[in-house]
Amino acid sequence: MTWRPRGLRARLLVAFVLVTVLGAAAAAWSSAGSASRALVDSTQRRLTETVADQVAAVAPQLTYPPDQAALDRLRAAAGPNTLVTYRDLRSVDGADTGLVTEELRGAVRDRGRLVTQRIVTEDDTPWLLVGTPVVATSPDGARTPSGIEVYAVRDLSEVEERIDGLTESAIGTAALALPLAVLLALLAARGVLRPVRDLRDTARRLTAGDLGARSEPQGADELAELTVTVNEMAASLQASMATMSRMQADARRFAADVSHELRTPLATLTAVMEVLETAADGMDADANESARLAITETRRLVRLVEDLMEVSRFDAGTARPRVEDVDVAAAVRDCLRARGWLDRVELAAPAGIVALADRRRLDVIVANLVGNALRHGGPPVRVRVLADREQVWVEVTDGGPGLPEEVLPHVFDRFYKADAARTRTPGSGLGLAIALENARLHGGDLTAGNAEGGGARFVLRLPRHGEDA
Amino acid sequence: MRRIWLAVVLVLLAGCGVQPSGLADAGDAPTGVAPGVTLYFVDPDGRLVPQLRPTDRLGTVTEATSLLLTGVGSDSELHSEIAAGAPPRVVVTTEPGVIHLMVPLTIHDVTPLGIDQLVCTALGAHVQGGGSRSTRVRIDFVQPTRESDVRRTCPLIR
Repeated sequence: MTWRPRGLRARLLVAFVLVTVLGAAAAAWSSAGSASRALVDSTQRRLTETVADQVAAVAPQLTYPPDQAALDRLRAAAGPNTLVTYRDLRSVDGADTGLVTEELRGAVRDRGRLVTQRIVTEDDTPWLLVGTPVVATSPDGARTPSGIEVYAVRDLSEVEERIDGLTESAIGTAALALPLAVLLALLAARGVLRPVRDLRDTARRLTAGDLGARSEPQGADELAELTVTVNEMAASLQASMATMSRMQADARRFAADVSHELRTPLATLTAVMEVLETAADGMDADANESARLAITETRRLVRLVEDLMEVSRFDAGTARPRVEDVDVAAAVRDCLRARGWLDRVELAAPAGIVALADRRRLDVIVANLVGNALRHGGPPVRVRVLADREQVWVEVTDGGPGLPEEVLPHVFDRFYKADAARTRTPGSGLGLAIALENARLHGGDLTAGNAEGGGARFVLRLPRHGEDA
Repeated sequence: MRRIWLAVVLVLLAGCGVQPSGLADAGDAPTGVAPGVTLYFVDPDGRLVPQLRPTDRLGTVTEATSLLLTGVGSDSELHSEIAAGAPPRVVVTTEPGVIHLMVPLTIHDVTPLGIDQLVCTALGAHVQGGGSRSTRVRIDFVQPTRESDVRRTCPLIR
């Protein structure tokens, strides 16, 4: 049994067919068996009675004690394939009388009654052996053996053929049940499999993110219970997901609100600080230093709030790039020049690489990457612009120690600081996150890694023909 | 597994054919051979006695009763109480349980013992030929008489 059916349908089918065939075969076998037994019995009785009647009919006319002629007459009366003996005399007809067994002869002699025996020869022919003594009855009814014995051999092949016919028709009837069994099995399989298939489809939709997917439970069986359970599971999952996303949205809205609310007082504060800055030179040394510190921190606070608002716009999905044809090399050069970094950065940018991009956002990204390299990495800081027909890459590398392995997965996380002790850096902690969002807004990507020489390496990839390219 | 299935199928198929059997009893053996026919006559004491007539075979009831009508023969001390001279021709018909003898005699040709002779001879031949001992005998005489309707049995064969 190396082969096993896979799938519920095949297994149900096989089980149904097996049960049906076994049942039908058992019923057919038992009915054919009893019918054939009855047939054999009646045939046997008829043959035996015929022999006995024929012997009885001719016996009163027989010379007794019999001579050979009398035995021949008796034998002729009993029909073909008969052996008649009386002491040393024998009368034989037919070749098959050799089938008479010693067992039968002994029984005939001992019992003094009609005895039958069925045998099957090696060529599968069934035979009926009938043996009987002829008894002499006195007028008062006492029976004594006369010494005459009659053995008749009768062929039962005809009965065998009729039994074979019975068997064949029984098998035929059983075979008729097969298509019915297959049909029933298919119906049952469909009844079982449809809910299962529904459940599978629902599970697939849930996996694909459609948390509203449900199956309609049918009936009240175990499958229906399973369906109900799966529905409950999906409902619970959906509820917790909804809660979570609501909390997330709340948190984002809070950040957005806070930064928005901070903007107005900060604007005022900035204006005050500018006045303070102009007046700072006239102060004494201590007051001057305090004023400078307040000015620096206020500017940092302004940048942090601006970054927070930018992040909020990304989170709310309201950030829209204003794309135009931009000469990437020129844009990068402008960015560096505006911040006075041109002399500290090695720029390798062939002119004429034009891409569809938002000039301001490209500037933000490049400024952040180069600023990070200058601040945290070591010289030399290199910026390279590469392009093929579809995409443009801006690669920023530095000569510093590079990014540690454990930091790499987190460099784009918000407020992630690689060095916990260095929290007082001028950055807001949002720069790389904003740069990544900007790259994605263009349909591009930003990846962090380490160059072969050991320094950190950031690669900005942008499609040249807009987001759909 | 395949072998088991094959064996099951073979057993099922084999169970349907004609099977060999042991010895089985099939009833009483046929009977009817006898060295002669038994006739009934009356001895000097007036008793019914059987006499074996060695005819080498049992023969039929007709033959037995016809033979009875021919008489006892000369060299015997037995005698018959059936009037001699009647033609030895008896017509025998058999119904279930009853043997009809149509004898060429009148009721005056036989004594009661003579009737017994006829009844016993007929019944004896019947029993020896395999018939039942409870069979009754009716004798039809050539002239109508009430005796013709009596169903008789032999005093010696019970």
